Amino acid sequence: MNKKQKLILNIVGSIVLSSVIIWIAYGREIFTKTQVLIEKKDDLFPDMVQKQWIDKFVWGLDLSGAISGIAILTGFIFFFLFRTKKQQ
Amino acid sequence: MNKYISTGLTLLVLVISINAQGFKVKAKGSQTFNFEDKGGRNQISFYSKTPLEDITGTVNAISGWATFDVTDFVKTLKGKIIVKVASMNTGIELRNNHMKSVNWLDEKKFPEISYEFNSAESVKQIADNKLSFKVRGKFTLHGVSKDVEADGEATYLDENEQTQKRAPGDLLGIRSNFKIKLSDFDIDNSIIGSKVSEVIEVSVNIVGSNK
Repeated sequence: MNKKQKLILNIVGSIVLSSVIIWIAYGREIFTKTQVLIEKKDDLFPDMVQKQWIDKFVWGLDLSGAISGIAILTGFIFFFLFRTKKQQ
Repeated sequence: MNKYISTGLTLLVLVISINAQGFKVKAKGSQTFNFEDKGGRNQISFYSKTPLEDITGTVNAISGWATFDVTDFVKTLKGKIIVKVASMNTGIELRNNHMKSVNWLDEKKFPEISYEFNSAESVKQIADNKLSFKVRGKFTLHGVSKDVEADGEATYLDENEQTQKRAPGDLLGIRSNFKIKLSDFDIDNSIIGSKVSEVIEVSVNIVGSNK
């Protein structure tokens, strides 16, 4: 493994690790969401709870998986391209 | 002889008053409530619990009606609630599209889901204006109708300054919960696998006005 390959390995590792950390920080949801539900009590009927959608981005495992997959695939290609060629 | 007649009449009145369970409010007689809410506050939510992910969705395009005699809710209750499949939202656009597709609810062929009920039973008076009850009716989903029993709670509010801010007339708030099995309505859950539960919990929170 040469210097460039080590660098690629580090970059890919960092991207995968970052996407996992972000996923955990967002609450470990399976699917990425752009809306979440909040609950509101009705003033006239206190027993009733109304659910409301609000715009909020939630990072899901699918997004982490996609980013990690692309990073690994790209890293693999560059890892192959930067291999040390044997001198003839 | 007169004694027997008066005792008989008293008993008859007693039996009628025991059987007739209803709201103790200012309003009298038969009332019809409309659940169309232009403010979009009326809501039905559905919940699916699976090992992979719990899904909560909402429906806001609700219409329908309920009619009953204020003093005899049990025997006179009937109505129909209709929701538009197009307004169902699970918070993920792609999942909404899957849910409304041909493989699932087939929104184009079956654009509405409805629940038609015509009697209440096991009525309990919680407060003068509040009753809990069980209701049985025909639930129609995906073009299939099945008998479904639901637990319900109805609150009657006579028109006042506060209710007028919401809508004119008396208001009726209905809360209800029931469960449906997807396979009962010819919805093939195996396509989606374990992503969606076979049993869906439905929760109703709607307010209707009689004007």
